[in-house]
Amino acid sequence: MLPRGGVRGGAGAAGAASPGRHRRAPGVRAAAAAPEGSAARPAARDELRAPPRPGAPPLPQPREPPAPCPQASPAPHPGDGLRSPGVGSRGGGDVLIPAAVCSPRSKAEAAAIEKELLEDYRFGRQQLIEIWGHACAMAVTKAFPLPSLPRKQPTVLVVCGPAQNGAIGLVCARHLRIFDYEPTIFYPKRSPDPLYRDFTTQCEKMDIPFLSYLPTEVQLINDAYNAVVDAVLGAEAEAGEGREPCAAILATLKLLRIPIVSLDVPSGWDAEAGGSGGISPDVLVSLAAPKECARRFLGRQHFVAGRFLPYDVQKKFELNPPEYPGTECVVAL
Amino acid sequence: MPGPRALLGLGLLVAAAAARAGGRCPSLGRGRGWGWGWGWGRGRACCRPRRAMHGPSAGPQGLRFLGQEEAQAIDQELFTEYKFSVDQLMELAGLSCATAIAKAYPPGSFTTSRPTVLVVCGPGNNGGDGLVCARHLKMFGYEPTVYYPKRPSKPLFEGLTTQCQKMDIPFLPEFPAEAALIDELYGLVVDAIFGFSFTGAVREPFGSILSTLERITVPIASIDIPSGWDVEKGKADGLQPDMLISLTAPKKAAMHFAGRYHFLGGRFVPPALQKKYALNLPPYPETDCVLQLSKA
Repeated sequence: MLPRGGVRGGAGAAGAASPGRHRRAPGVRAAAAAPEGSAARPAARDELRAPPRPGAPPLPQPREPPAPCPQASPAPHPGDGLRSPGVGSRGGGDVLIPAAVCSPRSKAEAAAIEKELLEDYRFGRQQLIEIWGHACAMAVTKAFPLPSLPRKQPTVLVVCGPAQNGAIGLVCARHLRIFDYEPTIFYPKRSPDPLYRDFTTQCEKMDIPFLSYLPTEVQLINDAYNAVVDAVLGAEAEAGEGREPCAAILATLKLLRIPIVSLDVPSGWDAEAGGSGGISPDVLVSLAAPKECARRFLGRQHFVAGRFLPYDVQKKFELNPPEYPGTECVVAL
Repeated sequence: MPGPRALLGLGLLVAAAAARAGGRCPSLGRGRGWGWGWGWGRGRACCRPRRAMHGPSAGPQGLRFLGQEEAQAIDQELFTEYKFSVDQLMELAGLSCATAIAKAYPPGSFTTSRPTVLVVCGPGNNGGDGLVCARHLKMFGYEPTVYYPKRPSKPLFEGLTTQCQKMDIPFLPEFPAEAALIDELYGLVVDAIFGFSFTGAVREPFGSILSTLERITVPIASIDIPSGWDVEKGKADGLQPDMLISLTAPKKAAMHFAGRYHFLGGRFVPPALQKKYALNLPPYPETDCVLQLSKA
């Protein structure tokens, strides 16, 4: 039976967005506009169509910029002198978040969003962590595509802290492995939560090696890996360096010359004030929406992984998200 | 014949798939040198022009089509040995389905004025996959509507239902009575009724639903197994979907699939498991979560 043209067969699809830009794929998001061919349908047929649902969401429109927040001039980072060349220009005082889109959230708001997703929307915690970890891995592949890696092996070190941020790192590592990178995990303080234990097992059974210690000799890390994923501390962490072993890890990360990708909050930074004297990631992947500290992010690329957020959550918290091209789950701001 | 059609062009995969010991290739850092245009940056998993015909029962080195018991064993192993949770894998499976649909039926290609999709969810995990798929379709700009008559009272399914409802995805109180009505209202139907565990007779209301679906003319995209088909032998007078999204690995029923689009989804199978069952999965393109196995 030949399919009638409920759709016209077409294998055209969105091309992958290149880092730093996003193009809208033709045809996708065309819900608001009548696609070609529909004009042929007589208007009288509209009555038979499913009535528009109340509150059917239009595309999120850019809103007026929120009241300008005081933007402290970023403190010079001690790691500057060691930054490897070619990372990209970092104009002093540049903020990588246009005010009208994706305004940063306070710690309390970030927690409120997560609470709403878990309690009202009944997302499962493992489900959310899987979504975020997958999105983080996608961001890593956009920031560091396989052919662009300087080392012969596509090695990536994923440093995981003891709480949720670390669990997201584990899922990210697993997806990187699926994407044919060679992740290695350092996960010194494992969460006793059975939920997170399973993430560990999944990684182990994907043949991802776990380091038993992190070399303090930074050059060893610089030589072995193309990049480091910082999944040590997230928005829920208290300000400052935290307890061991996080403090020692962060001290090592600060000295790295290879790029760092931080998940949600650069570890050691306060989620709102940012961090002076902390690590300087090249890439930041904000989960759901950027946190306040993202204003002080001076690295090369800032991704947002928020595609999964229901429209009503976006509206309620005035998240003003960017457009995601095609079927992408992350977008570079 | 649909069997070889699904395998055409995979002849070239035979040699390379076998060469990938454990799914790990040390030289992948410089892009894939498989030589069939799947190089990094190209992004499309186009099968090369056909050179060799292979019979439906692929030899030991071709992509394998699983029997029902094997499929169940692999599923079990993912949960018990590899400690995946159902909701993790369901999320990835549903995402694959929505992504495949977006590739084959982009919203702009619908001849209905809005990209409306009817997602029919069955009583088990296949239905759960459908709920996740519906949610992602919504995020991709489609207008899904769900029909979910038999809902298991488990937190997983209740959660997925809530997520859909709170995203403004309507749930129909009853199934459209006539095939013509479905054709009128929707540009695509997603069949998420029965999956690889299906055996025996079809219970109501799904018998009537399938009869109606067999008469619609808009395309049907089936998740994993065209519903009502025997998981190994197919069903000659049953549903004839236009698209099949095989999850994890294709089942034997897929050899009888005659539609235009056969996709592989569920990109989560650990290399060790692939090796153990000699799945010989072809490589997915880049970071895509779907792989097109057949050309339209």
